[in-house]
Amino acid sequence: MKELFYKFLSLRWFALIRKEFNQIKRNKRLVIMLIIPPTMNIILFGFALNPTVTNLQLGVVDENQSVESRELISALTESQSFQVAKYYLSDNELNDDLTAGNLDAGLIIPNDFAKKRLRGETAEVQLIVDAVNSNTATIVGGYASRIINNLNQQILRANPPKVSLQTFAVEQIPRKLPNITPHVALLYNPGLKNSWFIVSGLIGALLVIQGSIVAAASMVKEKEVGTIEQLLMTPAEAIEIITAKIAPIFFLLTMDIFLALFVAKIAFGVPFLGLFVIFLLGGCLCVLSGIGIGTLIATLAKSQQQAQLISFFVMPPLVLLSGVTTPIEAMPKWLQPVTNVNPIRHFGIISRSIMLKGTDFSILYPNFLALATFCIIVVSISMWRFRKQLQ
Amino acid sequence: MKNATQIQQSPETAIFVRDLRKSYGKLEAVKGVDLGIKQGEIYGLIGPDGAGKTSIFQILGGVMQETSGEMSIYGKTAREARSFVGYLTQAFSLYQDLTVAENLRYIGDLRLLSKREIEERGMKYLRLFDMDRFTDRLAGRLSGGMKQKLALACALIAEPRILLLDEPTTGVDPVSRREFWDTLAELSDQGMTMVVATPYLDEAERCSRVSLIFDGKIVETGTPKELRENLGLQRLELRADDLSKAEEILNQVEKIDDVQRFGDRLDLMVADAKGGEKLTREVLQKEGVAVEGFHVGQPTLENTFVAVLRDLEGKLTAPPFPRKRHFQERSPEAVAIGAENVNKIFGDFIAVKDINLAIKYGEIYGLLGANGAGKTTTIKMLCGLLPPTNGVIELAGERGSTRSQHVRQRVGYMSQKFSLYDDLTIEENLDFFAGVYGVPLADREEKKRWVMEFSGLQGQEKMLTGELPGGWKQRVAFGSAILHEPSVLFLDEPTSGVDPLARRAFWKMINELADRGVAILVTTHYLEEAEQCNRLGFMVAGEVVAEGTPTSVKAAQTGHLIEFITDKPQAASNLLKKEMERWRISLFGDRLHVVVEENVQTGINNLKKRLTEAGIKVFDAYEETRSLEDVFIAVVESKREN
Repeated sequence: MKELFYKFLSLRWFALIRKEFNQIKRNKRLVIMLIIPPTMNIILFGFALNPTVTNLQLGVVDENQSVESRELISALTESQSFQVAKYYLSDNELNDDLTAGNLDAGLIIPNDFAKKRLRGETAEVQLIVDAVNSNTATIVGGYASRIINNLNQQILRANPPKVSLQTFAVEQIPRKLPNITPHVALLYNPGLKNSWFIVSGLIGALLVIQGSIVAAASMVKEKEVGTIEQLLMTPAEAIEIITAKIAPIFFLLTMDIFLALFVAKIAFGVPFLGLFVIFLLGGCLCVLSGIGIGTLIATLAKSQQQAQLISFFVMPPLVLLSGVTTPIEAMPKWLQPVTNVNPIRHFGIISRSIMLKGTDFSILYPNFLALATFCIIVVSISMWRFRKQLQ
Repeated sequence: MKNATQIQQSPETAIFVRDLRKSYGKLEAVKGVDLGIKQGEIYGLIGPDGAGKTSIFQILGGVMQETSGEMSIYGKTAREARSFVGYLTQAFSLYQDLTVAENLRYIGDLRLLSKREIEERGMKYLRLFDMDRFTDRLAGRLSGGMKQKLALACALIAEPRILLLDEPTTGVDPVSRREFWDTLAELSDQGMTMVVATPYLDEAERCSRVSLIFDGKIVETGTPKELRENLGLQRLELRADDLSKAEEILNQVEKIDDVQRFGDRLDLMVADAKGGEKLTREVLQKEGVAVEGFHVGQPTLENTFVAVLRDLEGKLTAPPFPRKRHFQERSPEAVAIGAENVNKIFGDFIAVKDINLAIKYGEIYGLLGANGAGKTTTIKMLCGLLPPTNGVIELAGERGSTRSQHVRQRVGYMSQKFSLYDDLTIEENLDFFAGVYGVPLADREEKKRWVMEFSGLQGQEKMLTGELPGGWKQRVAFGSAILHEPSVLFLDEPTSGVDPLARRAFWKMINELADRGVAILVTTHYLEEAEQCNRLGFMVAGEVVAEGTPTSVKAAQTGHLIEFITDKPQAASNLLKKEMERWRISLFGDRLHVVVEENVQTGINNLKKRLTEAGIKVFDAYEETRSLEDVFIAVVESKREN
């Protein structure tokens, strides 16, 4: 046993790996880079990409001035989504403030509102939304319908008639919203769920970005400083040099998987329903893909600066076309197949399914297969190119 | 310390320093230095690596604050004086991706010069340095010597009254170095004051005065002549049939102060030339070594330097190298490094042209040439890092493809600049190279200890390599290149920036390795040490133009070298350079060297007449044996002119 240990210690590969670890040990920037950005990004994305909207400024024209109309207003404000900014006496005054941008939405309750409700007819109210920000407008509309729908349910339980909502967007043709089916109400309070969705998808993007940046920097460094020649004169084979360079980076980035899960749990309470082992397997493949991309970038660059600039060019499309922040279904038809060669997309599906749904391998294997294929191809190409450059 | 109390400030004092001290934490780098430098002097600072020279420069340059002491530069503090002090550091302070003209303009703008001033002065200095044709060339594309001259032009453009030069010629070839020093001499004639540090002691010979610094203190100050004479020793050149044996024997003789091997000869330092010669002949005869020649010469500044330092720090003895590997017996004809009609072409530029080499085991081959002559490209091809465009390479018994693991295991390589990892400690570097070359675990400790002792760095194992001064880093790099006991060794400028004492330790080790059967290819810009090679190849513009032993290369030269002692050496040099080919004239401190083709006496008479007519007094003129550097310059320059 002792002999075997000594044999390992005298291996050339061990010397190469130890050198890399020693260099990393002194590279404080690298260690910081492996800890701070992933933590920050998970927290930032989790909060910033949260589409929950609160404290929308609501202007109200209550022509009815009844218990029922006040019930409607308080239903809207109770959820914290809306806040009544001001009451108006006429539609025109409300419109002026809405146009001036002082309000996000306006609610007009006609004077027959209570009467219609009591009669069991459909009582109509009008919601006017500032649609300059179409995203907010959609959300406002959605919230209002859900809240009112909710209200309908309550009233329905008491007596059959219902309130119906009519949404208007400024500069848009008013349209009647259909009544919302009850199960949508289950997805109410989407805020928390959304951060879960974003964070679980983001882990893959972080691993690939980190992996490629760190790998590119480490590979280019030796070329840039000039020590590569000295290294090439040693009996070490190109494959030994490359694997020794990759191994410590791979190890550190695997630590990043744990870090990411930890931050996701602490900051957002993201659950982990599935099997950890298959998650880790996917994470490793994802890290390896990133390292492969980074090594490939390194073979194209002469200096660390160049490598970084190339990364700037490569990374945003990879993240954008991954479905992590925007749904793939929303992309143009011709672009959608391209996302299939994106490792972030596949790991995004894997991590979301395993973490949030507890899906097992038998369903996810196509994604694993895709990820592994990508990995093998990119790592082989980059190794081949790197070796060719060494010789 | 003998001048310490005499230094007084007088109107002609440019730089005045009294009891200057500098500490870095606990470490005291400068321990009370006194200097009185007169206007127009070229003042040399020489000393071993880590003696405190760079600290003194940084304080004089106003870049660093002294810990204590009194200092004035034309009556001002170093910080105030920055507007009229030019400072040239060891590393090139140029922007590689700007052109020559753009570099000058940038520095000029920083110094708030007008556009006209920048252009006029820029052209003036470029013309002076013979560089006015290259204004549009990128600084990164210049050769080392030209870069250094451009850096000097940048320092000069603000027309400083004082110039601080910290090892300005490290890595610069002898031809450029001479031109560089010719320029310094001209500037000094115009009244500029200069302080220069240099590890090349032949350069120090050209200073007006020199201070020898050791361990943060000035040990001795004087003109080079005074220093040489203070030594009270004479130099004997000895040629014998078995030099290794002669060296070993003479090292034991008490009356011989110092023995140094110079390739095909030994230099002996003795108090009395006649007695020394007699003694040496007797001793060698007894041991059966045949003496082939004796020559009495002047001691050089380097002899002085080594003698003084030996007194101070004791004889620098590198411990014996722990040999572990058994060298196989080879026939003396076996070629270790070979090249047959090797060419390297980059685009339409022929970097290396038709090189033929056959270096045998046990041979030290010196590849010499100016910056950009193709030495490094040749080395890279020979050791397999760069494929030749055509031709065949032979290395350690393999022909053609020399990249096999087996070959690399037997080759040692020390590249010009980047042979160690700056971000690893010394020990980690050694561990790495020992591990990657598969040095057996059991031998590693002993070998590492040897490198630390050889470098004089015991106890500093945990120091980051990047923090080591240049000279020391070279020692560690050399040590780590031979850890695995290679049979073929490539050394690309191993002693660049290394002090004379350490340089001798290097060469002692190189000779030892060669005696043991290692084939060594070495490049250097320090031609004194190139004398220690068994064979030399001179490269000019990618071609080997001359090859042979140091003695035969010298003998192949036609003409005679005449040394003149005059009252105005600089004026004499300028005058003769106008009338003869430039390479025939060179200045060596206060002595002028001229190469003439005619017979010695006619040559002396003609030149004496010419100089006297111009109002220059000639005190003495005689024929002198040529140094390798004289030969190198003659070969390189005459080829260039063709």
